[in-house]
Parts: sequence; structure tokens; C-alpha cells
Amino acid sequence: MRNRFDEQLQTLNTELITMGALCEEAISNAVKYLIENNESLKNDVYDTDRQIDQKERDIENLCMRLLLMQQPVASDLRKISSALKMISDMERIGDQASDIAEIAHFVNISGYTTQVHIEEMAKLTIKMVTDSIDSFVKTDIEIAKNVIEQDNNVDEMFIKIKNELILGIQTGHDNAEALLDLMMIAKYFERIGDHAENIAEWVIYSITGRHK
Amino acid sequence: MTNKIYRSIIFTSMSVLIISLILIMGIIFGLFEEQTIRELKNEANYIAYSIEKNGTSFFDDFDKNDNRITLVSEDGSVIADTAADANTLDNHLDRKEIQLAIQNGSGTEIRYSETLTEKTIYYALKLSDGSILRVSTTQYTIITVLLGLVQPLIIVLILALIFTFFMSSKISKSIINPINNINLDDPENNDTYEELTPFLSKIATQKNTIKKQLDEAYQMQNEFKLITDNMSEGLLIIDNKTNLLSYNSAALKLLKAENTDGKSVLTLNRTQSFRDVINKVLSGHRAENKMQYEDMVYNLIANPVVENNNVIGAVIIIIDITESAEREELRREFTANVSHELKTPLTSISGFAELMKDGTTPAETVKDFSKSIYDESQRLISLVNDIIKISELDEKNIEYTHESVDLYELSGEVINRLKHAAEKKNITISLFGDTGIVYGVRKILDEMIFNICDNAIKYNKQDGAVDIIITSTDNKVKLSVRDTGIGIPYSEQNRIFERFYRVDKGRSKAVGGTGLGLSIVKHGALYHNAEISVDSIVDKGTTITITFNKY
Repeated sequence: MRNRFDEQLQTLNTELITMGALCEEAISNAVKYLIENNESLKNDVYDTDRQIDQKERDIENLCMRLLLMQQPVASDLRKISSALKMISDMERIGDQASDIAEIAHFVNISGYTTQVHIEEMAKLTIKMVTDSIDSFVKTDIEIAKNVIEQDNNVDEMFIKIKNELILGIQTGHDNAEALLDLMMIAKYFERIGDHAENIAEWVIYSITGRHK
Repeated sequence: MTNKIYRSIIFTSMSVLIISLILIMGIIFGLFEEQTIRELKNEANYIAYSIEKNGTSFFDDFDKNDNRITLVSEDGSVIADTAADANTLDNHLDRKEIQLAIQNGSGTEIRYSETLTEKTIYYALKLSDGSILRVSTTQYTIITVLLGLVQPLIIVLILALIFTFFMSSKISKSIINPINNINLDDPENNDTYEELTPFLSKIATQKNTIKKQLDEAYQMQNEFKLITDNMSEGLLIIDNKTNLLSYNSAALKLLKAENTDGKSVLTLNRTQSFRDVINKVLSGHRAENKMQYEDMVYNLIANPVVENNNVIGAVIIIIDITESAEREELRREFTANVSHELKTPLTSISGFAELMKDGTTPAETVKDFSKSIYDESQRLISLVNDIIKISELDEKNIEYTHESVDLYELSGEVINRLKHAAEKKNITISLFGDTGIVYGVRKILDEMIFNICDNAIKYNKQDGAVDIIITSTDNKVKLSVRDTGIGIPYSEQNRIFERFYRVDKGRSKAVGGTGLGLSIVKHGALYHNAEISVDSIVDKGTTITITFNKY
């Protein structure tokens, strides 16, 4: 009975890593699509998003089964409950990656003054997502704390981009609609950063039992 | 153990005690009874004799504590009795011993009291006058004797218990202590009783077998570890739950991961290609995939481990193909470049020829066109020549004649050949230094110096200068070519020896050349085990130095 439980926990762990890897893939493909505008990448993002949704359901089922049938306590319970929280954040990351891909279909980022900053923001958020998954994989609190720190940079970058876009609309040189699209994209990145931060917080919770 | 021994000793002694008691009692009581009956008979005979002589007066002074004597008349009524008043006793005719006496002259009978604690033995004798004399004696039965024996028996029992307790503990100690004290590390050298010897020698042989097998296992493990750890390929062994069972250090190094014992292999890497390989191999199929990880390219080869038609795990090999991938990339680039470089002059030639084909072109223009065709063909020829040279140098197995070559003299020859080109730009070429003798292939060395000097002139400014300096030390000869040209940016310096690489791609047509010059120099230097160094400042000039080993 106990062996089976350990095995299931192991499966949960692997599934979460896979889901995390899918998230990384979704967002990095979305960013690539944003920069390269290669149509096949967009489908990749959608496909990955679907896989992420499926994984979320699978992991949710697994967690429920574990909770009901094994009645875990202490750190096992924390692991499962934080897993339940993490998958919803991961699922949101997947959704937002496909949202970015959807907008990127209509707007070509190159040629706008804010391009550099959006690319930088994309890089920052990808790193946040990768690090938050890494912190889970390695059960490393330091990496998780670092992710929470990084969120500030992403937020700053969002404000910078916002100001640039406001300036762009005011001067009227660029197509205002495209600028709004860019604004949306920046917002999505900012949200993804928040989700990565959440994941990191849940990782800390599952290790220490304290959640901010 | 002590308990068991204790119990069995108690059981044995108790049963011995009881059985011997029963046997002894049985035998003794039988003998005793016979003896008693015999005595009764004798007594009865004496009394009968006395009665026949003296009459019944005998009864009056008879000791009442002795055996009971009764005289019964022929009709059964009691005439006299030593134990009771004869008148109170009832008719004795129905008594068995009396009956027997009447019929046979004598009779014996044993009767037990109601409580079975006593038994009375009767002996009756028929006297000559027809009356019957009966003598009887009362004895304790076996039960009474046994009951009387209870107390001493209990004492014996208690003594036995105590004695057994000490005995058994002593025996068990003497059995167990040697066993406890056996030194199992060296089973054959022990001071024990001989019953244990086969047991100990068996342990000794098994111990040896186990040790041998363990040693073998260790050795195999070590061999395996040695082999896998010295592989440059990464090796991962996983079970069907993706848990990592074994790995070598190369695998961790290639995946840039830390030690993750017993965890999922996905903690080492979770890229899509890696996951795809794992999924495919765990579904029972061989999987092979290229994996881009950071700036490295790996080839993943995974084989499932199958037992009874079930996939129980997989072996994954990670091969670093970054270099070969890069080489392949270079080769592709080279092929593309060669085709491009070959095509450009051919297109021009074909274009001019097409214009002239109709014969309508004026004679003057034909002259111009012919010149262009000639120039382009020359370029094509020199390009093909350069490619051939490079291919020759690539093919290490072509035989050249090695000889001693004086670089100073050779440089002088090269300068003569380049004089014309230098004059066009008003560049002064000067040769410094002294003879520097190298052992090598004259043709290649000539080619190398020519190409460096040619570049020094081509990429020089108007009225510039080219200095060739030859210095020789005890075991080295150094050839430096210094120009005052346009220089090479630092970031490009390690690329200039690549085939067809141009720093300024736009100017290549104007300057001419094939883009293979420095590549030939590099190959030549490699052929001679010489070192090339570039020292260049943009807009100031470039110094290329080749250092040869003296032979």
C-alpha cells in the first residue's frame, strides 16, 4: 500500500516536470513566433497548450485519487496540495502563451521602438518560468526565492514598455492598434511572470510548509 | 532452549519415577499377598491342630491383636471369634471361602473394604469334625500405600525439579555457549564440540563462496564503472517509470546536471526531444533523436530493455555531435560558397558570349567583351587552382619532396613576382633579416608567402608599405609580413582563415581574389607544423607572423 503511494507520488512528480517542460516550450515557441512569424510555430504553441490542458486534468485526477485513497499527511499532503495549485498556474501560462501567439498573428513586432524591450521581457519571463520549474525539479528554495525576486524586473520592464507605448500613441507615428496589441502582449508576459512567481511560492510551501 | 531441556528432563524423570513405582508396587504386592496367604495357611494348620486337640478354649486366651481367627460350624453359624463376640455375628455359610472350604477342604478369598483402602485375606480350612476354621488378616491396599507415599514422593519431586533446573541450565549452557562463542569470521578455527564441526565447515565453505561471488560482483561493477566513466558518451539507464537507475559521469557533464540519485530522468533534462525519446523508448521502440541543448548538439540513442514482452527500462546513450554538426554546417557553407564563386564568373562569360553570338556586336565592343571573358576565365582558373591546392593540402597523403628552403631567398622571389602589382598602388616592399632555413616543401612555402604578401598589397592603401622580416633563433624561424593596410577588426580575426570568408563582403569583387588565400596559408602552416598569429589594428595595418620549427 505504502509502496504504491510512493510510486504514485513519483508519478505525480514526473508528470509535473513534464507539464512544466510543456509550459517552457509553449512560451518559448510563442516568443519565437512573435519574433520570427513562422506560421508552424503558432500551431506548435496551440498544440502544446492543448497538451498542457490535458496534463492539468490528468494531474488533477491523480491528486484527487491520492487525496481520497491514501489520505496523505504532513509533507506528502503539502506536496499534493501545492501540486494542485501549481498546475492551475501552469495551465494559465499555457493559455497565455497561446494568447500571445494569437495576437502575434496580427502584429509584427519588428519595426517598433519597443521591440527591444519586449524581447528582453520575453527573455526574462522565459527565464522565470524555467527557473520556477527548475526550483521544483531540484526542490531548491534558493532558485525559488530568486524567481520571486526576478518578478520585480519583469514588472519594471512592463511599466517601461507601457510608457513607451503611451509615447508612441501620443506622437501618432505608429499604428495605434498595433501598439495596443503590443501592450496586450506585454501584459501577458507580465501575467506569466506572476504565474511563475506563484509556482515558485508553491514550491517553497511544499518544502517549508509556509506560504506567503 | 533451557526450557525445552528442562521440560524434557522433568518429563523423563517423572515417567521413570511413575513407571518404576507402578512396576515395583505391582510386583511387591503380588509377592506380599502370596507370602501372606502362605503364612495364613501355616497358622490355620497350627490352629486346627491345636483346636482338634484342646477344643475351643484356645480362643479365650488368644492375642486379639494378632490375625483374626473364626471358627464356623458346619451350618454356618459362628462358634468362636477372636475379634468379635461370636453371638453378634451372622451366618457365614454364604461366604465364598467357607463355601470353598466345605467343597474342597480349604479356600482363599480376598475382599476389599468399601473405601478400597484396606483388603482382607481369608483362608478357611475344614476341620475333621466338619466345622470350618477361618484365619484372616487385614492389609493396606496399593492405594493406601500410594497415598502414604505421597509426601515422600512430593519431596522427591521437588528435589527432582530443583536438580533438573540446575542440570538443564548447565546442559543448555554447555550446548549454547560454544555456539554463541563461535567466531563466524573464521568458522573453522573454533573450540567447539564435534557435532558442530560439519555445520561450521559448511558455513566456512559458504562464506568463501559468498566472498568470491561478492568479489566478482565488485570487480564487474568496477569494470563497468571504469568503462562507463571513461566513455565520452553519456550513458543513462532508466526503469519503466523513468526513474534513473544508473548513469556515468559523462552523462551528467553533457546534460550539465548534478547528482540526482533515484529520481526521474526528467530532472536531468526536460526538453521536448529528450522527452520524446524517453516516451518512444518506453513504449518499446528504439529511439534516436538530435537534441539541441544550450549551445550543444547531442545525438540521443535509446534502446528499450525488454523482459517477457514487457518494457522494464531503457538504456540511453548521449553522444556529443556538436563538433560534427558544426563541421557539417561548415561543409554546407563551403559547398554553397564554391558553387556561388564558380557560378559568378561563368554567368558573366556566358552573358558576354551570348551577346557576341549573333555577330551583330561592333568590333570594338567584341574586344572589350573578349577582355572581360578573358579576365573572368582567369579568375575562374585561379579559383579552381586554389581549390585544387586546398584539396591537395586537405588530402594529407599526397607526397611532396621535402628540402631545405631559405625563406629569405624565397621571399625575394615572391617580391619579384609581386613588384608589378605593388607598383600600381605605389607600395614599397622591403625585405629585412637574414637567411632562415626551414626544412619543408618549397612549392607550399612559396604559395604561403605569396598569398600573405598578395593580401598585404591588395588590402593596402595607396603609397603604403609592406615589410617582410625574417628572424631566426636557435630552433625557430619567424616570418612576419607587416603592412600599413586597412587592418582586420578583432572580432573577425579568427575567421579570416576560413574558406571564402571575407571581412568586407561588398568589396571582394573590386579587390579580386578567390577568398581562399589565407585558407591556403593556414593549411600550409598546418602541414609544416608552423604557428600563425595575427596582430592587427583597424586602419593602421596588419602583421601576420608564421613561426616555423627549425629541423
